[in-house]
Amino acid sequence: MADKVSSKIDIEIPEAVADDDVWAQFRQVERITLELTQSYKYSLGKYSRFFIELEKRRFMATGCPGCNKVYAPPRPLCANCLAVTDWVELSGAGELKTWSVLHFSPGSNDDVRALETPYILAYVLLDGADTLFPHLLKAPLDQLRFGMRVRVAYNDGPVQHPIHLMHFVAD
Amino acid sequence: MKSATPVVAAVGSTKIASEHRGCNIRDLMTEAVLNCLADAGMGDLSAVEQGLASYESDHFNLQMTLGAVLHDTIGMIPKPNVRIEGGGATGALALRTAWAYLQSGLCESILVYGCEKNGRGVSSRTANQLFALSADVDWEMMVGGNYTGFYAAMIRAHMEQYGTREEHFAHVAARNRRQAGYNPIAQKPMDLTIEDVLNSRPVAEPYKLLDCSLLSDGAACMLLSSEDWAKAHCPSFIERPRVNFVATGCGTDTMRLGDRYPHISNFRAKREAAGQAYAAAGISDPLSQIDVAELYDSYSGVEIQAVEDLGLAASGQGGPAVADGAFDLDGQLPVNTSGGLLGRGAPVGATGILQAIEIAQQLWGEVDPRRQVKDAKRGMTDTHAGIASISVVNIFERQD
Ligand SMILES: [Zn+2]
Repeated sequence: MADKVSSKIDIEIPEAVADDDVWAQFRQVERITLELTQSYKYSLGKYSRFFIELEKRRFMATGCPGCNKVYAPPRPLCANCLAVTDWVELSGAGELKTWSVLHFSPGSNDDVRALETPYILAYVLLDGADTLFPHLLKAPLDQLRFGMRVRVAYNDGPVQHPIHLMHFVAD
Repeated sequence: MKSATPVVAAVGSTKIASEHRGCNIRDLMTEAVLNCLADAGMGDLSAVEQGLASYESDHFNLQMTLGAVLHDTIGMIPKPNVRIEGGGATGALALRTAWAYLQSGLCESILVYGCEKNGRGVSSRTANQLFALSADVDWEMMVGGNYTGFYAAMIRAHMEQYGTREEHFAHVAARNRRQAGYNPIAQKPMDLTIEDVLNSRPVAEPYKLLDCSLLSDGAACMLLSSEDWAKAHCPSFIERPRVNFVATGCGTDTMRLGDRYPHISNFRAKREAAGQAYAAAGISDPLSQIDVAELYDSYSGVEIQAVEDLGLAASGQGGPAVADGAFDLDGQLPVNTSGGLLGRGAPVGATGILQAIEIAQQLWGEVDPRRQVKDAKRGMTDTHAGIASISVVNIFERQD
């Protein structure tokens, strides 16, 4: 199960236990370190084209032919109509709808681990889309306001996760 | 086989702690079940027909098929077992499932036991990563999002839309931790001023450290049954007022907050769950018809959003209502008398069960007098997963 069972952390042996403790014989505690590392061949599935186009600095969404709703992030299937969607390109410009200023990094991947704190998790309504796209916004904290114009900024990497080929900046 | 409104036969739990250094998850579960048996006045589990294991995370626990392991650990072999998982709503969903088992006549008695080791077994960074797996891994987690951030963006939208203020949710953080001081199993009671909360260090603005709930180790157990079964097998049952598990509701919402646009300030799933539960319980005016409630205060502002979505305050009025004391111990509807997730703690698979235990004990009139709601007859639990991607409302009533 574990890659490594390493290093005993500690052993605790209580000096005394209560007379009425039914667990009196079970109060000794040993703790060890277990290390488990995993690596996945992780398919981006029907989202893949978004990331392939992102490398070419194109920002893609999907549109539903039934209800005309435009999804960014893309959905391959419109959950309202159960219709297969069409890819559409957006300009990458949009409006900040809400955000949070994070003072710690969850370290989900190397790109996230490299972030300097505090950083901004932004929800952006891209022009032409009907949903909010969550991503990092690199802008001075004192500039943040509801409705501020932002746009996608691209980079050529290298990145660990292709979602980090982009972030938002003030427009 | 016969079905009837389920009753709460007995309850038990461990102390909730940041780390039970001397217990693995089986040990915690065992303690909660033995405490439940003692509460029931029963010597063993031989009469109990069904077990239900409630836990969220195979990653935290590093043991799959834990339902079977726990069932084995507490001597329930060869009785039937089922494991329920629904993120943060796991414990409440477990009780809802038990309700259905009893109502269907599949069994007349069911032991619901929930547990989690979310405490210091892993670093808080690892804990955040593991919890973030219950967000949308492809789009929310990989950009650097985490739950504190998602909730923070939601409450910021609420602040912008309705004028909700940090002082409003600081009231929740201070009140629930104060009430935890009246609960002997609570993890972290604190006496705080609004200023203390406002001045605590920022974690994911606008949320500060003291707006955030706890990572916990703990376990909880509730024995549900038909009234006839409880009378026949559970000596303590006839000593207490009868508490019925009268109604349950459940709703869902999109995984990603952004897909809810333009409705990003509140919880649609809670409205759905509450609507179902209220209809089933015959409740038309919840603020006056419910006497005590445990609300899912994973973050302080969530309680403000919840009172609106549960119909206890008008849309946008949750902040002022909370800050005015409407939900304090001496208010119109006391909430989180246990201390809530902020003060009592939140071992995920046990959380919804701990909430229900608080309600049952309130209706029995058995909690510390400092937090006892006088003559409470009807109580509610509100529990959710993710940012309320799954929401469960359970309602309990004392029958005199
Ligand atoms: Zn559609």
